[in-house]
Amino acid sequence: MSTSVNTASGATLSGMTVGTPTLASVGAITFGLGRVLFVADNQSASIVAIDVGAGAPSAPPASFDVTDLDARLAAFLGCTREQVFIRDLAVHPTTGQVYLSVMRGSGAEALPALLTVGADGAVAEVNLTGVPFARMELADAPVQGDERVEGRVVQGSREGSPYVVKADFSLQVAREPLRTVTITDLAFVDGILLVAGASNQEFSSTLRRIPFPFTGRAEAHALEIFHVSHAKWETASPIRTFVPYDGNASILASYTCTPVVHFSVEDVAAGDKITGRTVAELGGGNTPLDMVAFTRGADEYLLVSNVRHPLMKLKKSDIRQQSPLTEPHEPTGVPRENLPQEGVSKMANLGPDRVLMLQMDAHEHYHLHAYMTDTL
Amino acid sequence: MRLSWREEGDRTALVVDASGDDGVAAEGDWAVLPDALVTAPAGAQSTVEPAAPRQTVAWPSMAGQWSREGDGLRFDPRFPFLAGVTYAVLCDGRRVAALTRPARPLRATTRVVAIEPDVPQVPLNLLRVSVQFSAPMRDDCALRHVHVTDAATGARRDGVFLDMTPQLWDASRTRLTLLLDPGRIKRGLVPHQESGYPLEEGRTCVVTIDAAWPDAQGQPLGEGAARSYVVGPAVRARVRPDWWVLDLPAAGTRDPLVVRFERPLDRVLVDGSLRALADHPGGESEPIPGAGEAQPDGRAWRFVPAQPWPGAPCRLRVRTRLEDLAGNAVSRVFDRDLTRREDDPVDAPWLDLPFAPRGDVG
Repeated sequence: MSTSVNTASGATLSGMTVGTPTLASVGAITFGLGRVLFVADNQSASIVAIDVGAGAPSAPPASFDVTDLDARLAAFLGCTREQVFIRDLAVHPTTGQVYLSVMRGSGAEALPALLTVGADGAVAEVNLTGVPFARMELADAPVQGDERVEGRVVQGSREGSPYVVKADFSLQVAREPLRTVTITDLAFVDGILLVAGASNQEFSSTLRRIPFPFTGRAEAHALEIFHVSHAKWETASPIRTFVPYDGNASILASYTCTPVVHFSVEDVAAGDKITGRTVAELGGGNTPLDMVAFTRGADEYLLVSNVRHPLMKLKKSDIRQQSPLTEPHEPTGVPRENLPQEGVSKMANLGPDRVLMLQMDAHEHYHLHAYMTDTL
Repeated sequence: MRLSWREEGDRTALVVDASGDDGVAAEGDWAVLPDALVTAPAGAQSTVEPAAPRQTVAWPSMAGQWSREGDGLRFDPRFPFLAGVTYAVLCDGRRVAALTRPARPLRATTRVVAIEPDVPQVPLNLLRVSVQFSAPMRDDCALRHVHVTDAATGARRDGVFLDMTPQLWDASRTRLTLLLDPGRIKRGLVPHQESGYPLEEGRTCVVTIDAAWPDAQGQPLGEGAARSYVVGPAVRARVRPDWWVLDLPAAGTRDPLVVRFERPLDRVLVDGSLRALADHPGGESEPIPGAGEAQPDGRAWRFVPAQPWPGAPCRLRVRTRLEDLAGNAVSRVFDRDLTRREDDPVDAPWLDLPFAPRGDVG
């Protein structure tokens, strides 16, 4: 890693410039390097890295239970409760500050907001004025081994822009506006930002590896993570959500078509095509929403939140021992325990011994609760 | 106390006229909140006196700046006031006045331009349906407004489309791509075992867009739209460029090169996946400038060069990510049966089909 921290003057990370990043939308968020908030902006198909500062460690609040979070956000944002769309949450690794990505309103008047919420329910906006930041565009980022000319070669100069093929030869190329990449999840592992997403065109399980600091488009390496169902059928499919665990040696990913798949980060570094090991199937009509890992005692556990199924707990040692699934009958795969927390969507670790959960109640109101890991 | 809106360009402030209320503007802790939160808080710990609402729940104040203006006060919100929402002004936690932003008049101008694929028959394992609109749409509510019914019985088919957030919109929010639930399409997965395919072979299904779908301005569509498809057998084989038929142009002309596919392909992917290249004696090849366009039904691609065709050999470069309507690509079958060697994937990112413009003209 070439990342250096200039702590003497303003603490600017390399590869960042000071300014005011513009966000057309906010989606998945995650922290890296102890101070950088990565924000997926799906509207502009880009990722913005914002240095929010290392901060000082603070004593964790005794409890973190913010009821009616959506109403608090609606008050702050000046809208109705129904016009608040909480997209993701992340916890600053040092300060324990809780960050939220929120869209206010929809359609043409939709506005993105990056907010913090305290244990007392106080809401504040993350300062985006004069901050060190960097941006990585994803829509047209070529991937390794892909020599296509993205876009359409056109006549004249009214449309498109020059594309230099070699020193003395260039083409006028109009970018295809139709293709977009929708980012579904982010994680930062050992200097690499891992990005899962789906395209409105090809149906692939592209996991992008983007080294940070962002150094340019060509640095985005795409990996195809295949999953094999029941030892017979192999498919590529977009990854919806994923979580590094096992000291960042493993990744557990869930696909849009529901299998939960394990693959090793070592493979991610080594090859372009990876076949994961399907360790569980969550069943029909369900979409996995988020995953989080925590350690308790000598073992590590993973939580999977779902649209239709309860919050599930898997044990790392069970995942390790799980042989690839061969028979499509439920319940299949890794033993899982259903937890009582209801309506859980987004989750994040709040220090080593708590997990923060965004929960929706029967009235479709949202609340934020932290649970001690020894109760999960 | 009177409230009014102060419109300044595309920004709107809320002005509190406190003339007659001596000193009220100078004192007190002022706040603005959406009125719904003040008068009907849903929090369990809230206590509200209906006659004189007093905000005892500590909702955060709306983000913005207070300043003095004449005898009164002015509030410039950080996030603009929203049409149709009533805002309350509070002083020391007590609601003293409220004012509603005018709602937009309903005026339906956006329409459905196309429902794709543009073919009469689709495979049982159809992967995508796309909807093109004439103007940007609200992008987070598609599944409430798109339905699939059986043409003969009118019965609605549930769980056809994958429920995903965010949905797959293009950057202009005018084109939506919906995935049919891949877990129900793929053999061997539990959703497929439990619920079967999203569609039913031999039936005719109707994809319906209802007129209530709001566009980006919050206006409903002028009218709904529908398209029928006959559901044919599943297709599970790699797309085979070696089976395509090329209508060759004559060298020295700008006649189109027409590439006819062996089955309907994804129209949008066709446009991004095919290129015509000219070979050079040195062994290099370079793109031939021109305009290529897929036929609406995805059965052919037509390419017109900017300059007359060369007499030299050319090649059609095909990106192997190109898919058919069921997600089968040139490189791989959508859900590959590992026991079928003929379905083994192609690793190359593209493959080339050599061709030569006819030499009998020009």
